Amino acid sequence: MAVNRGKYIIELENVIAGYIVAPPKLRSIFKTKQIVLRDINFRVGTSERVAIVGRSGSGKSTLLKVILGILKPFSGRVLIHGHDIYRLPWRRRVELLRRIGYVPQDPFKSLNPVLKVKSILKEPLEACGFKGNVDEKIRLIVKLVGLPENVVDMYPEELSGGMRQRVLIARALISEPEVLILDEPTSALDVSIQAQVVNLINEIYERLKLSIITVTHDLAIAQYVADRVVVIDNGRIVEEGSLAEILNNPRSNFMKTVISSYPKLHKLE
Amino acid sequence: MERGLIGIIQRASRKTRFKAGLALSSLILILAVVALYIVPFPQDALGYVPRNVEARRLLPPSGDFLFGTDHLGRDLFSRVIMGARTALIQVLTVTIISLLLGIIVGVTAAYFRGLIETLLNYFVEVFMPLPAVVIALVLRLALGSGIHVVILALVSTWWAWYARITYVYARGIVELDYVVLAKLVGLSNIKVISRHVVLNIIQPLVVQAITDMGGVLLEAASINFLGLGLEPGSPEWGVMLYEALFYAGGVEAVVKAPWLVVFPGLFLLLTILGFSLLGDCLREEIDPRLRRRWRLWF
Amino acid sequence: MVLAIKAENLKVGFLLEEEVLWAVKGVDLAVEEGTTLCIIGESGCGKSTLASAIAGTLPPYAVTSGKLRIYDRVLINGDVRNYNGVRGRITAYIPQNPGTSLNPFMTIEDHFYYVLKSIFGINRKDSRRIAIEALSRVDLDSSILEKYPHELSGGMQQRVLIALALSTNAKILIADEPTSSIDAYLKFQVVKLIGKLQRELNKTLIVITHDLVTTSTICDDIAIMYAGRIVELGGREDIVLNPRHPYTKMLLEVSPIPGIRKPLKHISGEPPNLGVEITGCPFYERCPYRIEICKQEPQIWEIGEQHTSSCWRAREAPWL
Repeated sequence: MAVNRGKYIIELENVIAGYIVAPPKLRSIFKTKQIVLRDINFRVGTSERVAIVGRSGSGKSTLLKVILGILKPFSGRVLIHGHDIYRLPWRRRVELLRRIGYVPQDPFKSLNPVLKVKSILKEPLEACGFKGNVDEKIRLIVKLVGLPENVVDMYPEELSGGMRQRVLIARALISEPEVLILDEPTSALDVSIQAQVVNLINEIYERLKLSIITVTHDLAIAQYVADRVVVIDNGRIVEEGSLAEILNNPRSNFMKTVISSYPKLHKLE
Repeated sequence: MERGLIGIIQRASRKTRFKAGLALSSLILILAVVALYIVPFPQDALGYVPRNVEARRLLPPSGDFLFGTDHLGRDLFSRVIMGARTALIQVLTVTIISLLLGIIVGVTAAYFRGLIETLLNYFVEVFMPLPAVVIALVLRLALGSGIHVVILALVSTWWAWYARITYVYARGIVELDYVVLAKLVGLSNIKVISRHVVLNIIQPLVVQAITDMGGVLLEAASINFLGLGLEPGSPEWGVMLYEALFYAGGVEAVVKAPWLVVFPGLFLLLTILGFSLLGDCLREEIDPRLRRRWRLWF
Repeated sequence: MVLAIKAENLKVGFLLEEEVLWAVKGVDLAVEEGTTLCIIGESGCGKSTLASAIAGTLPPYAVTSGKLRIYDRVLINGDVRNYNGVRGRITAYIPQNPGTSLNPFMTIEDHFYYVLKSIFGINRKDSRRIAIEALSRVDLDSSILEKYPHELSGGMQQRVLIALALSTNAKILIADEPTSSIDAYLKFQVVKLIGKLQRELNKTLIVITHDLVTTSTICDDIAIMYAGRIVELGGREDIVLNPRHPYTKMLLEVSPIPGIRKPLKHISGEPPNLGVEITGCPFYERCPYRIEICKQEPQIWEIGEQHTSSCWRAREAPWL
């Protein structure tokens, strides 16, 4: 078990990250660094609800990859419980990363079609060598996300988008993480189901009191699932604070443009 | 709608092509299994020359000898039926070994990427275009005649084909979220590969293999037809064609005794046809692009 | 009061294997020229199919019944469909996903040329002129013409599609989910642009969307679709301020708006899949206001002028 060296669960210090690409015209001997994220300083403590908001191409997905241990940054540190995950051997890194539950973006492509829901949910427990009553744990988690008990014997293709989303959330929660990261949880869903997911996220927060990071491009969703909002644009964090603060006092041009593009709706309602 | 393999077979079996292919393939399969027990002249089938050669030589089809006899007096019917067994042994051995090798190489390259990927892909590219017949020639000189020449020659080219196909399918799967998720959670590589990658590509691979069996058989028969594989006398359709042209007396003999060529050739044709029809119908069912395009509309 | 579009008991289905999947189950519409109608619903309600029926992009295995008229031309009569001279000339379709609707191998100028050539048979010079004019209406510079689709951002691609539709000078524009593939904060910009164009050029505009909040800012009339039927139809103020169907009320409540922090209510369950057969009111399963009689198929009741609802409890409206 890793000793908690800091008061934050996840910390990014001065992270600069991106991809190594071969420029299209030259031979691939000359590879260059394409910098996507610049000077990222980001912290998540216990029981916090944070939203990372940015449009497509702003670097949100790259940021997620860095946090999840998939993309090593060019410089800076990525700490989980005070340990830099990119300087650890694979086994230790995986142990630390188990504190994070990740719910990917597209519910339609994120579930293995040949496995039953039961097997899908069992996997994280298998991977960490869980010795207890697996079926009981599955039953509890299925109830927590609001799915009927018989879902465990079904295949992903029998489930609707909203239900698949819940399976993904259940899978992320089953190993009892300290942080839940949701990548665009509402983008692929219909409007009436988006509300269900948002309410579910908050319910989970109330019950389990874990930290929740929601990545989204929709400010409207962010206000419901976060107390602190971090706005990212062009690879930099341009705003940070509660949504009310940001809307009333935008510091960046980006945010000012965003606000001005929303009409005054209260004329109608 | 039934899912999985059963569903596919159910849906495919509505087409007549499928039923025809299934009938032909099943027939050959059954013949292969029971050949040893039902052929009227098992000795002839295995290549032994009967004692009354002169009396029996080159007889046209009749009540006793349904397909006639060959230049050494052996009952062609027995030999042709036994040929089904040889055909299937060759095809199944080659396909299974090539599939296994190909899957291992393809999945490894797709999953581990980097240097391994580049190296393995080079290998595959070198082996894929090799002509099996030429390899058979070299092997024959080195190892002498026999079924091992055929099998080795064919495996050495077909494994690369399956490796390439597996690589392409696996590359698609490896990028998907559920593989990423499994790795994130810390699942060991072996488990990730076997559970997420292989299970999802096995279906199209098997269907491809079924369709390919016709081609494999044709190549095997060609190797034998050129005298590079099994010895003369073996119950194999390619060998029988070889014997007809080179031992029975060339083209004039064949014109006078066409049954020597017609029956082995016919069975070869029907078997290849059966596999191809079967494979085609199954492939149509699983390949989403060939399916009814209405899916794209919602 | 000229009617640009009139549909009478229009049904559209798809023939698969042996049976027909009915996506649109009997729709009545009357759209005045020069107005904007928003057809709102979630996935599986049949709105895209309805749009395809009007725009003329139905596949050959579609089955239709009822009537559809554009101005005085009969497009659909029973199972006979005839779009000659209408598709592309009187109606222009703005497809949903710009990423897959633009040909990656052609420059933007080529796109305009081939579209205009096939409809009007004009030459390159004229098509370039029309293209520049259309692009300027969507605030795009003529330098776009030399670019390939992948060199443009999603928002710009969407605007190119709109410009393409404008260049045909069609009187009726059908925009299929114009805000779906765009980031949240850009949605309003696109919608504003479309609304502005509609007013300036006096086009008849049909917007298909699931986003009630954004599009309600530009429409004159709203039609709410659920499970292949129009469950409520009326003017914008009527629908938003006086919704007479529980589904409409739900849509209004679940759409989040930044800055306005009302509690986000939700209704359990999911909209039925396209073409599923339902007896009685299609919203019965999810409706918090359902009563016994809702098991029977509701008719269409008039609530006010030009405001109809297909709910047994529309008159009493306990949700208001």
